[in-house]
Amino acid sequence: MAGTSIKNTLADVFAGIRMYLPETEPRVKEKHFTRAELRERYHKRLSLLPKKERRALQVKHYAAYAWPILRALIVIGLCFIILYPLIFMISTAFRTRADMNDPTILWIPKNFTFQNVRDVVRTMDYWNTFRTTTFLNIGCSIVQVLSCALTGYGFARFKFKGQKILFFIVILQILVPPQILTLPQFKFFRYFGPGGAINLINSPLTMYLPAISANGIRAGLFIFLFRQAFKGLPKELEDAAYLDGCSPLKTFVQVMIPNATSVFLTVFLFSIVWYWNDYYVSTTFFTNNATMALKLKNLAPSLEQIIFGGTVSASPRELIVWLEAGCLVAILPILILYVALQKYFTEGIARSGLTGM
Amino acid sequence: MRNPINSLKNMSYERRKGFYGYGFLILWFVGAILFLIIPIAESFYYSFFDVAPEVGYMKISPIMRADGTVNYFKNFTDAFGVDPYFRQLLVDALRNMAIKLPVIVVFSLFVAIVINQKFRGRTFARAIFFMPVIIATGPVYAIITGDLSTSGNSSAEQFSTMFEADMVDQLLEFIGIYGFGTQFTELLTTLTSDILNLVWNCGIQIIIFLSALQGIPVSAKEVGQIEGATGWEFFWKVTLPYVSPMILVNIVYTAIDSFIDPTNEVMARILAIQSDWRYGMASAMAWSYCGIVLIALGIIFAIMNKFIWYENE
Repeated sequence: MAGTSIKNTLADVFAGIRMYLPETEPRVKEKHFTRAELRERYHKRLSLLPKKERRALQVKHYAAYAWPILRALIVIGLCFIILYPLIFMISTAFRTRADMNDPTILWIPKNFTFQNVRDVVRTMDYWNTFRTTTFLNIGCSIVQVLSCALTGYGFARFKFKGQKILFFIVILQILVPPQILTLPQFKFFRYFGPGGAINLINSPLTMYLPAISANGIRAGLFIFLFRQAFKGLPKELEDAAYLDGCSPLKTFVQVMIPNATSVFLTVFLFSIVWYWNDYYVSTTFFTNNATMALKLKNLAPSLEQIIFGGTVSASPRELIVWLEAGCLVAILPILILYVALQKYFTEGIARSGLTGM
Repeated sequence: MRNPINSLKNMSYERRKGFYGYGFLILWFVGAILFLIIPIAESFYYSFFDVAPEVGYMKISPIMRADGTVNYFKNFTDAFGVDPYFRQLLVDALRNMAIKLPVIVVFSLFVAIVINQKFRGRTFARAIFFMPVIIATGPVYAIITGDLSTSGNSSAEQFSTMFEADMVDQLLEFIGIYGFGTQFTELLTTLTSDILNLVWNCGIQIIIFLSALQGIPVSAKEVGQIEGATGWEFFWKVTLPYVSPMILVNIVYTAIDSFIDPTNEVMARILAIQSDWRYGMASAMAWSYCGIVLIALGIIFAIMNKFIWYENE
């Protein structure tokens, strides 16, 4: 008795469940065609079409096969061209200088060595340089990102007199090459303050002052990016905050920044990269500063002093070994950063709505 | 006496908000005045005078003609007439730019379309295509390009042998066109031997095009599919109109970017003059270079603007 009742209840439950499931179609076993049969059917159906349509279909058919192959070739080829300098760098950085003169060696060195890297690390005073560059970079980038974000927000969300003229200045910031401004800026830093009593040349302030006031390296571009990003955020966000009695600055800090973190990260990363690569500002205003780019630029002369003891004892061709090793250690931190955070480099720019100009 | 805070409170909401706008911009504005506007004005001023550094100040003296009148444009005329390199470098730079601009635009659009499609390893390919962006601005790039040309296995030459310019000539001769001008073959060699530079300078442009491609609405794609457009038709009728504003952006970006390219020889010449303490001449050169490029951009802008399709209009 009990057994059947359980059986019945179970059946009821299953029926109930089945009611709510989508009805599955009764399975019809599909006819399995051989390749030859398929081809025959294809040609038969093709022959029924008018000639013009048949042509078009055939072209489409072949293109569908050919394009992925062609695409793969193009992509692989271009990737190779892009990676070529890096492959070359790795290949030369770990070979001895004698290998440079051996015409039988193209890619794989005969004598594998770490000596070049060790030499270069010693010449560039790598770890100290790395530390100063990193601190300077991160410091400048943080203040630059904040000031650019403030400016971009001001342009994106407020209407005031003279906005167009002010934004034209931002465009000017992007357009005017920095070389034009070198001398006046040099003068400004050299004779700083009232009466020009203070000499700021070779002080880190030459990097920090422009960064704090959103005028650092490529700041115009960053302001532009922030403006676009903030314009893309819904207005209701801030209106709600204003209704609750938030001041504009508090709204910006507490509502807008959390909603735009990916843009902040993108701009921050680009700022770090461009400060890392910069040697223009450092060579003009900050000469005794040991940044990575500067050390790399002066690598050849300082190699002569430190490794060869004041005499030139390597041909330009042999010098490549050290130069490439220097390049390798100089961009390695940036490359690692890029590989780890690649998403934010690319998608950040793509998503921040450059398109919505 | 009116309390300033009260008067701020009595303003209309819109005006008060506008007032806060100035507050957000003030930091940048001070910086822009100090580091941009004043320097621009100063360097513009310098370009008309003879500028020499003295202890503690810049000695700015007008350049005199023989008859005692002031010649304000001496620096400019000297830059083009007397300086042995500047004019040639400028002409070369402009010619290269005229060739490079369309090639970069077409190439980066092509690459953007390709890596916008779905295929295996797309993320990896994208990562590689954008990688030059993080390297190409620094001294590493200068060393890379310099090294590649001093070492025997120069990449540029290796690649260009694939499209040997002579081959094109021979091909044309085969068809029956003889002596097809050195101009064309020269142009072709410039392009092919520069393919490394080309792909290394396209990163940002590809990103910009890619974002434009991703901005094409799904509805437009569906219409294309329903109407049975081929890929070719789809490109000309849908893709190109949608990305056309970005073509202009990319042209401007490419031209501007070439100013800060570490391999830019005109800028190198200007810096050389500057380190020679001839500031007036250097600013005159920089301004004429900048001015010529901006005028060219303006002309391109005016012409292109007629062919650009804006979605919102």
